[in-house]
Amino acid sequence: MENTKLNILPVPTFSSIGVNYVLRDVSEYETESITVREGGSNEAVRFFEDGQVPFHRTDVTVSAGGRLKLVQVFTAKQPTASALNVTLGDRAAFELVQLYIGGSDTVSEIKTALSGTGAEFRAEIGCALSGRDNLDINLIADHTGLRTTSEIHIGAVLRGQASKTFKGTIDFKKGASGAKGNEREDALLLDSRVRNRTVPVILCEEEDVEGNHGATVGRLDGGQVFYLASRGLPEERIYELAARAKLSRAIGRVSDREAVRRIYSALGWGDEDE
Amino acid sequence: MSQLLEIRGLRVSAEDKELLHGIELTVGEGETHVLMGPNGAGKSTLGSTVMGSPEYSITGGSIIFDGADITEESADKRARRGIFLSFQDPVEIPGITLSEFMRNAVEQREGKRVKLFEHKKKLAEAMSLLGMDPSYADRELNVGFSGGEKKKAEILQLLMLRPRLAILDETDSGLDVDAVKTVSKGISEFKKSVGGSLIIITHNAAILGELHADKTHILADGRIAREGSGELAYEVLENGFEKYLCEV
Amino acid sequence: MKQKTQVGDIDRSLYDFRYEEDEADFLEGGLTPEIVREISREKNDPAWMLQFRLKALEIFQRKPMTEWGASVEGLDIDRIVTYIRPKSRMNTDWDNVPKDVRETFERLGIPQAERESLAGVGAQYDSELVYHNVRKEAEDAGVVYTDLESAMHDERYAEMIRSHFMKLVPPTDHKFAALHGAVWSGGSFVYVPEGVRLEIPLQSYFRLNARGAGQFEHTLIILERNSYLHFIEGCSAPKYYEAGLHAGCVELYVGEGAHLRYSTVENWSKNMYNLNTKRALVQKNGRIEWVSGSFGSHVSYLYPMSILNGEKASAEFTGITFAGEGQDLDTGAKIVHNAPDTYSCINTKSISKSGGKSTFRSAVTVNENAAGSKSTVSCESLMLDSISRSDTVPVIDVKTDKCDVGHEAKIGRISDEAIFYLTSRGLSEEDARAMIVRGFAENVSKELPLEYAVEMNNLIGLEMQGSIG
Repeated sequence: MENTKLNILPVPTFSSIGVNYVLRDVSEYETESITVREGGSNEAVRFFEDGQVPFHRTDVTVSAGGRLKLVQVFTAKQPTASALNVTLGDRAAFELVQLYIGGSDTVSEIKTALSGTGAEFRAEIGCALSGRDNLDINLIADHTGLRTTSEIHIGAVLRGQASKTFKGTIDFKKGASGAKGNEREDALLLDSRVRNRTVPVILCEEEDVEGNHGATVGRLDGGQVFYLASRGLPEERIYELAARAKLSRAIGRVSDREAVRRIYSALGWGDEDE
Repeated sequence: MSQLLEIRGLRVSAEDKELLHGIELTVGEGETHVLMGPNGAGKSTLGSTVMGSPEYSITGGSIIFDGADITEESADKRARRGIFLSFQDPVEIPGITLSEFMRNAVEQREGKRVKLFEHKKKLAEAMSLLGMDPSYADRELNVGFSGGEKKKAEILQLLMLRPRLAILDETDSGLDVDAVKTVSKGISEFKKSVGGSLIIITHNAAILGELHADKTHILADGRIAREGSGELAYEVLENGFEKYLCEV
Repeated sequence: MKQKTQVGDIDRSLYDFRYEEDEADFLEGGLTPEIVREISREKNDPAWMLQFRLKALEIFQRKPMTEWGASVEGLDIDRIVTYIRPKSRMNTDWDNVPKDVRETFERLGIPQAERESLAGVGAQYDSELVYHNVRKEAEDAGVVYTDLESAMHDERYAEMIRSHFMKLVPPTDHKFAALHGAVWSGGSFVYVPEGVRLEIPLQSYFRLNARGAGQFEHTLIILERNSYLHFIEGCSAPKYYEAGLHAGCVELYVGEGAHLRYSTVENWSKNMYNLNTKRALVQKNGRIEWVSGSFGSHVSYLYPMSILNGEKASAEFTGITFAGEGQDLDTGAKIVHNAPDTYSCINTKSISKSGGKSTFRSAVTVNENAAGSKSTVSCESLMLDSISRSDTVPVIDVKTDKCDVGHEAKIGRISDEAIFYLTSRGLSEEDARAMIVRGFAENVSKELPLEYAVEMNNLIGLEMQGSIG
C-alpha cells in the first residue's frame, strides 16, 4: 500500500496545524469524464456510496457558452476520495453542488480552471458530520481568464467528535483582469469535541480583481438566537433549524426530486410536506 | 380593565452601566400606549428588556405579565405567553426561509402542528394585506431585504403570531410615506382581529394612524419623565420634548 | 487616457548612511562550537548559558528549514558574521558612547525622542547594547530596564532569567530560533513590579551597522500582576551588498491583569533577512497589544504569537506591511486560545507595489479548554499594480463548540467609485489616490508612535507616473 499526497494546499503554511496535505492510498480508482459541448447544457447527479470504488476521478470540460450543473452526494461510510478537475471555456458556467452526509473518512478535491473569458463557477457545499466523521476538502478556483467569477459557499454542521477541514483557495493569476471571487463559510459547531479547520486562501498577482473571504465558526450569533427566541422558538428548536439551514442552500440547488428524496433520507429528515 | 403588563421599579444595566433607573409602567388589556423620548433615553432598552434580551441584565424590580412574574424568564417562553417585539433592525438569518420560520414560530405559539397547506394560505393572506411580494415567503429570513421589507416582515410576524402584547420599536423609522401607511394598516388589522395591547415606540404621529392612544409615557435618561393621556403624544410631536422635560 | 499614480518608495537616505567598522572586531564568519564558546567567553556567560548555547547549536545544525514561507535561498548562514565585539562598554550617558555610534543614533533621532517622550531607552549597535538609561521615576517604582547580560549576573534577576529565557520560544521551535539560542547577544531585560503602571513608554532601538552581520538580540519582558508597560522597538540597517540577517527573539510574560503594549517599526535595509520570533504568554485578565509596521528587509518571516493562558486574557494585533520592489514580506500573527472566555482580534493591512510580494499568514487556534472565547480576524490587501503579488493564508483551527470565530479577508485595488467620489468633491486624481492609500493605512498608522506614524505617512508619498492600458 502506497500513500500519495492529496489535497495539497497551494501555498503551504505552519506545519503544526496539519492542513498542508492528506496522505491516502489511491492505487485503485475509477475515472469519469463529463464534457459539455459548445453552447450545450447538462445536469448530472452522482451518489458516492459504500460498495463503490473508493477513489473517484471526475474530469469535467465545459466548452464555450456551455452550462453544467453537477450534484455530488457523499454518504459512504468507507474511506472515500474524490478528485474533480474542471476546465471552463469562454462564458462557460459550472455549478457544483456537493453534500457530505456522514462519511467517516472523506477526502475531496475540487480544482476549477477558469480559463475562458467570462467563465463562471459557483459552488454550494453542505456538510453534516457527526460521530467520528472526518472530512478534508481542498477547493481551488484558478482564475486565469478575463472577467471570470467564482462564488463559493459552504455550510457545515458538526456534532459528536466530527472533524472537518475546508481549504478554499481563490487564485487570481496574472492577466485575470476583472475577475471576482467570493467565498463564505459558515460552520455551526454543536458539540464540545468537534474540530473545525478553515483555511481561506486568496492568492493574487493581478491588480484589477476583487476577492472576498468570510468565515464564521462556532455557535449561533447571540443576536440571531434572541431574535428567533423572541418569536417563541426554544433553544433546541433554534439549533435544529440552524443546522438545517446550513444544508438547505445546497439542497435547494438540487432540482432532481428523486435525488432530494434520497438526500433527505440520508439526513434522516422527514418529508418536507409532512 | 385588568393589567396585562406591570413593570415595577425596573433597573437595567448593560456592561456595568445602569441604563434604566427604576421604571414604573402598566399596560391594561387591549390598551395602546405610546412611548417617546429623546435618543438614548432608554426606550429600546425597555422594549428589549420586556422581551428578555440577554444583552441587558435586570438589577432590580420586576416584570409581571398577566399576573405571572416573568422577570427571569427566557425570551422564547415570554413569546409563547404572548409578548412580541418588533425589532428596529431585524437580524438576518441565512438559510431559513421566511415561510419555514413562520411555520415553526406559529406552531410554538399555538402549541400544535400546523398543516403546510393551511400555513401557506394564511401567510399568503397576511402578505397580501401588507402588499408583500409572495416570493418573499421563500426567501431567507431578512437576508437582503430592504429596510422597508424588513419592517413589513416584522408586522407580518405580528399578524401571524397574534400576541397579547406587542411592542413596536420604531417600526416606522426610515420608511417612506406609503410604507408607513402599509405598516399602520397592518397594526390596525392586528388591533381589530386580535385586540392585543400595544406599546408603540415612535417619533412619528403617522404610524398611529387611526389608532386611539390611551396613554403616553415620556422617557428621559432612563426614567419616566412625564405621563399623560394619548393626546400628549400629539402635543409632544408638535412641540418637541424640551418643554415637557423641563417641567420635571 | 486614464492617468495612474504610484506610491513612492520609502526614502531610505535616512537609514542608508553607515560608518566603517574595524575588521579586527569581527569574530570569524560561519558557525562552529568553537565560535559559540568564544561568544560565550566574550560575554562572560554563566555556565548554564554556555551549555544552553551549545545545545541550541546542535539543534540548529540538524533542524531543516521550514517547508513553507518566503525563500531564504540568498542567505548563506556560514557567511553571516555572528558576533561583533563592542567598541566600548555599555553607557548610561550618550557622551560616553563612541562618536560614530552616537552620531548614528543622533541621526535616527533617538536621544531627542528620549528627552521628549520616553521613560527609558536602550540602543543596540550591531551585537551589543551601547546605551541604556531609565528615568529616575521609573527606577524608583522598581522598574528594571537593562541588558540581559548584566541582569544575568545580578543575583536579583539571575534566577528569573534562567527560568524564563527561551522557555516561550524554545530552540526546538524552528531553525532560526535554534540559531538565536546559540549566538544571541544584546537585547533588553524589562521587569515591571506588581501594580506599577508606567505611563510613558520604554524604547529600544536596534541598529545593524556592520557588513554581512547578524543581529540576534533577545528581549525578555516580565510584567507582574496589574502592571502596565508600553514598549517600543525600532530597527534599521544601512544597505550593503552582502545580505544581513536579523534573527531576534522576543519573549513577553504578561501577568494576571497586566497590560503590555508592544510596538515595532521595522525598517531594515532591503537586503536583510528578518527572521524574527516574538511570543507572549498572557495570564488571567491580562492583555497584550501588538502594533507592528513592516516596511524594510528583503525577506521577512514575522508572526508574533499570543498564548492566552488565563481566563479572560486578550490579545490584539494591529499590523501593516508594505512590500515594494525586491521585497518578500511574509507577516501575520498567531493566537492560541488556551483558557475560557479569552478574546483575540487581528487587524492587518498590506500594500504591494513595484513587484513586491506581501503574504499575510495567520493561525488562530481555539483549544478544547477555551469555551466562551471570541476571535475576529480581518485582513485587507491593496494591490497597486499588476507586477506585484499579495497572498493571504490564514488558518482557523477550532476545537470547541462554545466559541465565536469570524474571519474577513479582502483584496483589491483602489476603486474607481472612490476616486470618482473624491474627484467630484474637487480633489485631483493623484490627491484622491494618495488620500485613499493613507486612509487604507490609517487605522494602523494611528496606533504607531507619533514619530513613526509621521514617517509612514511621508512614505506614502505619491507621484504621477505613466498610464494604464
